[in-house]
Amino acid sequence: MEEFFNNIKESFKNVTLEFETINIQIDSTEWIEAHLKLRDEFNLKFFSWLSAIDWDNEVSVGDAPKESVSPSFEIITCLSDLANTNLTTVSTNIDKSDPKINSLVEIYAGSNWHEREAFEMFGINFENHPNLEKLYLPDGYEGNPMLKSFELISREVKPWPGEVDVEGMPEESESDES
Amino acid sequence: MVNALDPQNMNRFSEASVSVEIETEDMTLNIGPQHPSTHGVLRLVAKVDGEKVHDVKPVLGYMHRGYEKLAEVRSYPQITTLVNRIDWVAGFSNEIPFIAGAERLMEIEVPERAKHIRLILTEMARISSHFVFNGAYALEVGALTPIFYAMEDRERVLDLIESVTGGRFHPNFNRIGGVKPAAGAGPTSKKNIQDLPAGFYRDTKVAMEKVIQAADQFQNLIGGNEVFKKRTKNVGVLTAETAEAYGVSGPILRASGVKSDLRTQTDYLPYDQFDYDIPVGENGDCYDRWDVRVKEMVESAKIVLQAIDSMPSGPLQAKVPKVIKVPQGRTYVRAENPKGEMGYYIVSDGGLGPYRLKVRTASFSNVSILPIMLEGALLPDLIAIMGSLDFVLGDVDR
Amino acid sequence: MTEVLIKVGFLAIAALNGAVIFTIMDVKGASWMQRRPGPLHVGLRGFIFPLAEILKFVQKEDIIPTEVDRPVFKWAPAYVMVSCVALFAVVPMSPTLVVADLELGVFFALAISSLGTIGVLTAGWSSANKYSLMGGLRAAGQLIAYELPLILAVVGVVIQAETMSLVGIVEKQIEWGVPFVVGGQIVGFLIFMVAATAEMMRVPFDMPIGESELTMGFMTEYSGIRFLIFYISEYMNMFILCAIASTLFLGGYHVPLLPTEWVNFYGPVVLLTKTAILGFILVAIRWSQPRFREDQLQNLAWKILIPASLVNILVTAVMKVGF
Repeated sequence: MEEFFNNIKESFKNVTLEFETINIQIDSTEWIEAHLKLRDEFNLKFFSWLSAIDWDNEVSVGDAPKESVSPSFEIITCLSDLANTNLTTVSTNIDKSDPKINSLVEIYAGSNWHEREAFEMFGINFENHPNLEKLYLPDGYEGNPMLKSFELISREVKPWPGEVDVEGMPEESESDES
Repeated sequence: MVNALDPQNMNRFSEASVSVEIETEDMTLNIGPQHPSTHGVLRLVAKVDGEKVHDVKPVLGYMHRGYEKLAEVRSYPQITTLVNRIDWVAGFSNEIPFIAGAERLMEIEVPERAKHIRLILTEMARISSHFVFNGAYALEVGALTPIFYAMEDRERVLDLIESVTGGRFHPNFNRIGGVKPAAGAGPTSKKNIQDLPAGFYRDTKVAMEKVIQAADQFQNLIGGNEVFKKRTKNVGVLTAETAEAYGVSGPILRASGVKSDLRTQTDYLPYDQFDYDIPVGENGDCYDRWDVRVKEMVESAKIVLQAIDSMPSGPLQAKVPKVIKVPQGRTYVRAENPKGEMGYYIVSDGGLGPYRLKVRTASFSNVSILPIMLEGALLPDLIAIMGSLDFVLGDVDR
Repeated sequence: MTEVLIKVGFLAIAALNGAVIFTIMDVKGASWMQRRPGPLHVGLRGFIFPLAEILKFVQKEDIIPTEVDRPVFKWAPAYVMVSCVALFAVVPMSPTLVVADLELGVFFALAISSLGTIGVLTAGWSSANKYSLMGGLRAAGQLIAYELPLILAVVGVVIQAETMSLVGIVEKQIEWGVPFVVGGQIVGFLIFMVAATAEMMRVPFDMPIGESELTMGFMTEYSGIRFLIFYISEYMNMFILCAIASTLFLGGYHVPLLPTEWVNFYGPVVLLTKTAILGFILVAIRWSQPRFREDQLQNLAWKILIPASLVNILVTAVMKVGF
């Protein structure tokens, strides 16, 4: 893992290793070249997944981020290598008002379905995708469910009760047995 | 009346041809969502010409439960309950990478005994999942008897899992920092470390011996069966390059010749203490996929036998605070699920629950190669190929 | 007149009884091989099963989908049943206990049994269901393909026995002292059994039904009594083809050591025993083998069985003329 990390650091500018996961942060205009490089030079031919994170300050479900963030989509792919078992994630940020990015279908054939899912869940437009249509959601579904602003109907009816502690921790509750 | 013997007409009548190309149209056949062989509610819209399948378009989403959105509204222990149900055949193995990810972010050291128990239960879940595959695959190919044998042998393993965790399919046994102290073990204090039920060692040994015998029986009865071989050899061949590009993992990848097993990288479970083989296939056809899984069952049984012999003693759970808040950070944890590679990408913001949880399931990528593998196959081959991919709809649709 | 009525009544009773006996054998054999306790122990040691089955089907609602071709849909089971019941008329249980000892017994039997194909095909076609259509077409291909080995295998017997009447064939086997399966027709016997299994559409040849693919194939849209007719006629077919096989190849109602005056009493029992043995072999094969793919099935028929049966006829004819 260490030498792979060092190798990658030489080719890309913004590489971090935290919690045993390497993350390469690149600009959205370099998306295709970076992946080509990772596939050919570093031999990362296994396409694991592609997904997105919605960074926003106003959330309708869950908790808002602790520090204020600038609203954007962060698109992450995860690539790995079957022989040496190297793994890396590649992330980029794109604009939320007009989300679009190049599709990786030419480079990794497996990104086809992942991009379709990101398209319907977040509303991200993947250019040059052969068949960008919905994967999971039924026809006529309005909205993009994974956006932080998308409301969960069940939480409208009954808000989340928060952390409900049903089982005491072993050392403290000697007398707490059922 | 035309004079047939007139020489002027002879040319016309001698133009008759024997075989004329009949124009046929493809029939659109809807396989599923309700079908005996689609392992759930998978729908395939197939264009069929007689028995030949021209084009297959999978339609997913009949079982989409929105795990990633649900996870944003829940705390980590609550998500553990949810996560069992992604791949419901091998329930325990879905929890492990998620809990390991949370533990990695909190930097907790899990006690050895808990790691061993987790490993044993994961391997038992793998055995249980492969039994289901064996029985169901034989049923799809047409042999009506092996499913009963598979289910009977599987009951023993499920009984063992139930005796430890209390649940057969959805154990919900992991806690952040270790495993749950067994129900009915009395007040859990430092003195009382009796947590596995009485007779567990003996019952496990018996069950694993029977598993090895059953796998041997399957190899002889089904694998040696001429009709089965004819139905599955050279059917649905998948090359290693295609598999890699599409993200196909697990036994399917190993059957195509790639010796890659994520258990060798799983550092949060003590796989390096035991020795086991990694079965690899040659051709990448349906027979190899079946064969690899039967051999994996035997390897898992061997791992369990070694693990219960060398079980260390100690606490079952590390010290964790009462209210679990995972510090900020992100990590990707992956594990070798029975179906393939399963991973969780946890983006944590310091709250009670994750800011974003991405679930990478094995069957999603495995099913994406169906349109390629089914080119030019016959309809019974479609059933055989789908069965050999061994996917579960909860895994595909999340 | 009364004779005709008695004979018709006998046909009905014999057909139904044959079906019931084979249903019991099939289900009990299945549960024994699959280690299920139900049909082995529950309810009068499991023999209540046919009664439960028939009552269940009789009380079901008769659903006819809107888009089917109604007259064809309703008459399809009848073709299949008629083609099975009519075969009971020629099989002899003793030299005199036979409904009709036709001169062309074998010819009649093979001709009538091929009427079932019409029933299966029309059932698949008239149900407005693509899966039934596929099942029906597969059945048409399969049944037509396997008729030829069936007929050709029997031709070998006819050459050896010099008669087409079934009673005459058994008499010839008594005259020879050995049943034909030992006396030179072993290949013919095997071909006949394989072809008969395919004619009955049992596993390993049950592509038209193909339960895990086509959910009952051409029978998908049938419910209640109509399905019961298909189901019962499948077992009747099994019974009668096994009976014909034991008549042609195994010696029918004859057993070497028993006196021939009492043949009217022990003939039926002997025939039933031989039929049951063959039936049990078929049951064992059904529950242990996967099913063939359609093109492998056709391969087996056209490329292996027909040439083998032609060679069989050649050898039989040469032996008959030469010796």
